Amino acid sequence: MTAADTARPARKARTPRKPRDRVRKASFTQALNNALDLAMDKHAEMFLIGEDIAEMGGDFGVTKGLLASYGPERVRDTPLSEAAIIGTCAGAAMVGMRPVAEIMFADFIAECYDQVVNNVAKLHYMFDGQFKAPLVIRTACGGGFGGGPHHSQSVEGWFLNVPGIVIVAPSNPVDAKGLLLASIDSDDPVLFLEHKALYRSRAEVPPEYYTTPLGEASIAREGTDVTVVAAMRMVPMALDAAAKAADDGISVEVVDLRTIRPYDAATVLASASRTGRVVVANEAPRIGGLGAELSARISEECFAQLRGPVVRVDGLDTPIPFSVPLEDIVLPGTDDIAAAISSAAQY
Amino acid sequence: METSTLLDLYRDMWLIRAFEQGLEREFEKGNVPGMLHTGLGQEATQAALAWHLKATDTFFPDHRCHGINALAQQRHGGNGERVMAELFGKATGVCSGKGGSLHSADPAVGNFGDNAVEGSYMATVLGVALAAKMRGRPNVACAIIGDGTVGRGEFHESLNMAAIWDLPVLYACINNGYAISMPVGEGHASADIVDMVQGYGFGSSQVDGNDIVEAWTAVGAAVEHIRSGAGPCFLEFKTWRWQGIFAGEFRPEAEVKYWKEERDPIMLAAEALGERGVDHAELDAIEQEARDVIEEWIGFALESPAPDPDKATADVYVGWEVSSR
Repeated sequence: MTAADTARPARKARTPRKPRDRVRKASFTQALNNALDLAMDKHAEMFLIGEDIAEMGGDFGVTKGLLASYGPERVRDTPLSEAAIIGTCAGAAMVGMRPVAEIMFADFIAECYDQVVNNVAKLHYMFDGQFKAPLVIRTACGGGFGGGPHHSQSVEGWFLNVPGIVIVAPSNPVDAKGLLLASIDSDDPVLFLEHKALYRSRAEVPPEYYTTPLGEASIAREGTDVTVVAAMRMVPMALDAAAKAADDGISVEVVDLRTIRPYDAATVLASASRTGRVVVANEAPRIGGLGAELSARISEECFAQLRGPVVRVDGLDTPIPFSVPLEDIVLPGTDDIAAAISSAAQY
Repeated sequence: METSTLLDLYRDMWLIRAFEQGLEREFEKGNVPGMLHTGLGQEATQAALAWHLKATDTFFPDHRCHGINALAQQRHGGNGERVMAELFGKATGVCSGKGGSLHSADPAVGNFGDNAVEGSYMATVLGVALAAKMRGRPNVACAIIGDGTVGRGEFHESLNMAAIWDLPVLYACINNGYAISMPVGEGHASADIVDMVQGYGFGSSQVDGNDIVEAWTAVGAAVEHIRSGAGPCFLEFKTWRWQGIFAGEFRPEAEVKYWKEERDPIMLAAEALGERGVDHAELDAIEQEARDVIEEWIGFALESPAPDPDKATADVYVGWEVSSR
């Protein structure tokens, strides 16, 4: 034994490593990428279109590698022309193609709002069913990363008042894949919202082709005292808040809407009727948004079963500031949902 | 141009004029709901386009395109009266009365529908053209627009993308001098739209929109160019609309007189036919025949039933029913 050896601190006994998950967990981004890959393989008439989606693979990497597999005709980069992107999708869909557009940030949809609202959403109706618009508009929404006023908004409220559009809003990688495949299969136009804070969330995602039905909510957690209705990032926050509430003896049911329009009123109203206490959580500003619709509908249809008023958790009625401490003030978080649960549970 | 072709186009122009004049009359009687924009004075461009576009091609009509809609249906479907009935909001219309003048689509004959947000289909036409290109089909996708649309962002987005992707798009810009009340030279960087288009780098030309021979020749050449896979084409038809604005006539008296009395496309075509030896009686018979057809169509529209009430909630979604109140 040398001096050097004795100088070395005694080697700690290694704690045995947890056996690695047999199925490697996939991120929300990878789940979406896998869905697009499977769908491109299934639908010869499908193509992808958007800004920097080809070589670069999209700003968030969702279309990464698809150019190599499917070529530039079907994975198509565009100039900064959101209206032309959605118009191209609409026209192609009118003749039976199945386009999937990426609008880099949901905030930029304002540039093609007319195309979505006045054209895509109304094509089937105003022309008496002679056209269908089987297209998907994928877009990255939501705040919480210091993106500022034009890269952070939750835009579902902009479209809630538009008949004809489907709004899909997954909260986890497994649903993200199944819902995207169902959206691409759908003959209705789908606005597919991808909350940026969820892109890195991971789960065991089945590798095969599967669809998650549109228009159906899921019960993310069962409970008996309070119902929390949420979507996208509000779902994991609601689940955290529910776990906290359980410590205080409050049993919380979390309803994950998954599709925001048309939403699964039956599941929402049944849960609200069962618990009699409801919190609706959404990241967008309070006035005229998803929370307002859910709150009104639940109050209207479950009045006799409710023990107290529906409690709303929303973003403040402001634009989204850049500075992160300010953004934290404006956007709702787990604590706000927890407080709302406590408040609802008082009744 | 063969005299027989010119006679056919003359007949088509009269069908458009009789259609619009009959429609104006019924609108004033209160039989046509909503708003009315007519293509009177612009018959030559519409007849020329309708002539060259096949049922397998696509056109997006503008708000003054009842004429081309009717010609396309009559030619490829044989039921022009359904275009009229649509404007009356009737069940027998091409969209069962749900679209009306500003949203009449008739895809079986190539009519992909107006969009009343003028110029929005400048973007939509790209998708139809892209699909044709991806499928290797020699189809033309045509956007018929007014000069006012040149101010829209989608106008420029569309020309740019059609250029970089070499899409089979025919842009037919009907420059009638005014966007509602705004003279074209005041609203745009140039009163000649082709000047603004040149930078996009594809074929463009300015055409006398009131000369049916010139319009027909230009559309034919453009369609052939596009069908061959040579990329988009832009045609600017210089013309003038007979209809004023809702408040009445606002344009100088001399201008109105000039366009209606000296530049009427039907009168010019009649003169050309006269020079070729066609006699007045034959031309008068063509006019009368068109007017008789249109009266039949108007009668059909008036007698047709209103849409089934279920239509109010039908076809909002493919995958979901919308319940009525």
